[in-house]
Amino acid sequence: MEPEDDLCQNNWGGSSSSSSSKRREQDLVHLMVARNGQLQGRQEQLVAQQQLITTDLTSIIIQLISTAGSLLPSVKHHNMSTAPGPFTGSALFPYPREANNLASQTLNNNNNNTCEFDLPKPIVVEEEHEMKDEDDVEEGENLLPGSYEILQLEKEEILAPHTHFCTICGKGFKRDANLRMHMRGHGDEYKTPAALAKPNKEAVPGSEPMLIKRYSCPFPGCKRNKDHKKFQPLKTILCVKNHYKRTHCDKSFTCSRCHTKKFSVIADLKTHEKHCGKNKWLCSCGTTFSRKDKLFGHIALFQGHTPAIPLEETKPSAPRGSSACENSNNNNTGMVGFNLGSATNAIEEVAQPGFMDGKIRFEDSFSPLSFDTCNFGGFHEFPRPMFDDSESSFQMLISSACGFSPRNGGESVSNTSL
Amino acid sequence: MSHSILSALSEDLLVRVYGFLDPPCRKTWRLVSREFHRVDSLSRTSIRILRVEFLPALLFKHPNLSSLDLSVCPKLDDDVVLRIALDGAVSTSRLKSLNLSRATAVRARGLETLARLCRALERVDVSHCWAFGDREAAALSVAAGIRELKMDKCLSLSDVGLARIVVGCSKLNKISLKWCMEISDLGIDLLCKKCKDLKSLDVSYLKITNDSVRSIALLPKLEVLEMVSCPLIDDAGLQYLENGSPSLKEIDVTRCDRVSSSSLISIVKGHPDLQHLKASHCISEISLSFLHNIKALKHLKTLWIDGARVSDSSLLTLSASCRALTELGVSRCVGVTDIGMMGLARNCSNLKALNLACCGFVTDAAISAVAQSCLNLESLQLESCHLITEKGLQSLGCYSKRLQELDLTDCDGVNDRGLEYISKCSNLLRLKLGLCANISDKGIFHIGSKCSKLLELDLYRCAGFGDDGLAAISRGCKSLNRLILSYCGELTDTGAEKIRQLEHLTHLELRGIKNITGTGLAAIARGCKKLAYLDLKQCENIDDSGFWALAYFSRNLRQINLCNCSVSDTALCMLMSNLSRVQDVDLVHLNRVTVEGFEFALRACCNRLKKLKLLAPLRFLLSSELLEVLHARGCRIRWD
Repeated sequence: MEPEDDLCQNNWGGSSSSSSSKRREQDLVHLMVARNGQLQGRQEQLVAQQQLITTDLTSIIIQLISTAGSLLPSVKHHNMSTAPGPFTGSALFPYPREANNLASQTLNNNNNNTCEFDLPKPIVVEEEHEMKDEDDVEEGENLLPGSYEILQLEKEEILAPHTHFCTICGKGFKRDANLRMHMRGHGDEYKTPAALAKPNKEAVPGSEPMLIKRYSCPFPGCKRNKDHKKFQPLKTILCVKNHYKRTHCDKSFTCSRCHTKKFSVIADLKTHEKHCGKNKWLCSCGTTFSRKDKLFGHIALFQGHTPAIPLEETKPSAPRGSSACENSNNNNTGMVGFNLGSATNAIEEVAQPGFMDGKIRFEDSFSPLSFDTCNFGGFHEFPRPMFDDSESSFQMLISSACGFSPRNGGESVSNTSL
Repeated sequence: MSHSILSALSEDLLVRVYGFLDPPCRKTWRLVSREFHRVDSLSRTSIRILRVEFLPALLFKHPNLSSLDLSVCPKLDDDVVLRIALDGAVSTSRLKSLNLSRATAVRARGLETLARLCRALERVDVSHCWAFGDREAAALSVAAGIRELKMDKCLSLSDVGLARIVVGCSKLNKISLKWCMEISDLGIDLLCKKCKDLKSLDVSYLKITNDSVRSIALLPKLEVLEMVSCPLIDDAGLQYLENGSPSLKEIDVTRCDRVSSSSLISIVKGHPDLQHLKASHCISEISLSFLHNIKALKHLKTLWIDGARVSDSSLLTLSASCRALTELGVSRCVGVTDIGMMGLARNCSNLKALNLACCGFVTDAAISAVAQSCLNLESLQLESCHLITEKGLQSLGCYSKRLQELDLTDCDGVNDRGLEYISKCSNLLRLKLGLCANISDKGIFHIGSKCSKLLELDLYRCAGFGDDGLAAISRGCKSLNRLILSYCGELTDTGAEKIRQLEHLTHLELRGIKNITGTGLAAIARGCKKLAYLDLKQCENIDDSGFWALAYFSRNLRQINLCNCSVSDTALCMLMSNLSRVQDVDLVHLNRVTVEGFEFALRACCNRLKKLKLLAPLRFLLSSELLEVLHARGCRIRWD
């Protein structure tokens, strides 16, 4: 519709109200008022316009109802989960504001001919993504254009480490309060309650209410810059600083734990470092998550992605004995006397020069191999007619039980044998 | 030449003939000639390995294997697997089924090698590998073709490991996660999202909530759902199934404490084709509405409602509508009487299995009715039905010719005459007579002389039965492989001498028989070469000579209980070192064994043990090296 464009163009402040739905409503009202004020001669046109508007309104109402309808089950569910009890029919909208918001949102979407609201977009929920601009999410502030004063600090001012300077000695401070504290040292005149009080406070009792201050980003083309078509002002100086650093500056602070994440605001780094490395749920694609359910949601969405098993677990804190078991060398505890078909004795195998390094490990760690090699005095092996598979570690026949001396610990035995 | 007639047979004929043989005959076949042996080697498709030493040779000899069972193979570990992998001669490309149950020493490295080696792998069993964790799961997921996976009691497996498998093996259609206690809703949810072909799912004993059931309900092809004892799932969760999983055929909600009949009703409503409904010990009462809905299930074959209050009228209504019922479980049901059972017998003549354990009001009349009407009856459980006497057993003997399994544990009314009647059920395979105080050698004699097919006989605490009865059993029941004689105080070495005739015996319990000495045990060891499980707890009079014989002869022994035995240091060391397949040992209260004896004995077998029970104080007395090696080899120690 043409009038809308006109309205938008002539005052950039009009678009300052962040929620465009409001704007849309305003436009409609304007349009209707304007049309009503027109001459009678354009009656037919007016009728046509009114019809247009009524259809428009009907469609809006239908949308509103359908949205509310679709909202109802979820609201009901929510209601049930929070406070079990019968869901009363009178409370059609337990959360009227929510419903309205949604309605306006659909209206908004309708305007833009996009349908983002209903479609569940496959969003990769990345856990440690870019810190969100808190000031970006600033919503619901529907300030009328011209109802506030716009200030724009220059780049140097924003990036300056100190913004409050002592007029006497020139020392800089981040905060005005600190400066005032500092000023006390320069003489008694700075110690009066009036000098120590917040400068803004005194202006408040004045007759005229102060104009609200809002800030603009000095970066040309930025949405937060007052020359932008859809300008959204920043609330405080701190917002300006953080916004400028995050959006228009290099990220110079690197996380000391992961060495990958970079930040331009040191507070963001600190927040990240608090969580970095904790409960790392890693996907095979390299994305990390701080929560398991987020990882599983991610895996469910993508073909072929699997949870990665952290590398440090590859070598579990294995006991000394198991290191022998798990190493892939030929001779270890597990493979004692396991000769595939060949009837060679274990001791011969050990004696081969090729296996020497395997053997060295054996001497310090326990191995039943040493049992094989020793001959327990009076014990003899059973004669094995069927399976002489030479795996018979420690096989013996009690010909004379007196030869057995349990005091022979494993260690001493192995020493004698080696 | 006598062999000419055999050599005239062509190879394809031999292969065809071989195809008709039973496994025991194939063993004999092998010995006929070189040619026969070759046919056996080439035709064999499944094998169960008992000793790891022969694994490579056997794999080489049988190139067409499709099924390999390594579950009872001691000393199997990563290195063995790697050696096989390096051995180029071994062909494993046709292997479809692999059983690695209890192979606790096979870890990620070995599993990955196996998964890569066996490209056609479809079925894998890694149950009871407590060390099977996420890393192992990741290794196994390399085998993308896996369709059936059993992971019962993989205690270290978490959602992450399951996710690896789920993503890697998307063709899964059967998975069992019983006792994988680390698995949570997240894992189940992902499983249900990724494996849409899933037909059978077992989530028994998991701490999953209703959210999981919601995910499960979205599986389009699910047919079998087992969720025994899921304490966090309630009616609200089961409601999701009403409109979900349209092809559900079988559901098991046994011992789900928070499930009531209302949610079962909703499941029944949503699935009129349900065939198996197992809801033991979760519903307290069979309500009218439940009955009304059950009536709609025309194809219901199995119904377990053990532990519920069932009235005669409800049994009558039930049986009148579900005539296809073949299996009914009403054990511990209060209110089951003769009237209900007679009605059931009249209506459900196809009944094959009936569980009436602990239904104290059931008498001979009911049993007679069941025997006369249900001629296909194969399994009957009558544990603790005290009112049953020889009359009931008489009709069983007369009519139930197909009876294979009969449980009469703790039935006071069973006497020698009753056993005589039972012995007419000549197809009996499993008979349980534990705690029947009124039977003697005379009754057992009838069993031994007529039930020649018997595979399993339980005579736990049958005090009136002695050596002569055992002699009859040993003479008649040659194929017996499981025999429980615990606390049969009358038995002596003479009886043990008879047991040796049972060549196929694999499982023998002799707990608490004071009169058996070393001589008796030696006789058993000499005769029962296949013995794999032996319980000698509290056999105090067995001396070392018996254990020496055991050590020498029982090479297949896998599990042994020596608690309270008077075994000496030397005998224990002998046993542990010579029993080269032993994997599970109970060594509690061995008064004659010193700490050094334990240390020595355990060192001798530490590379093959998988489970071990010891007295708690030994924890600090045994060397830490030994304990570390045991742990690293995947052995679980229970400190008593």
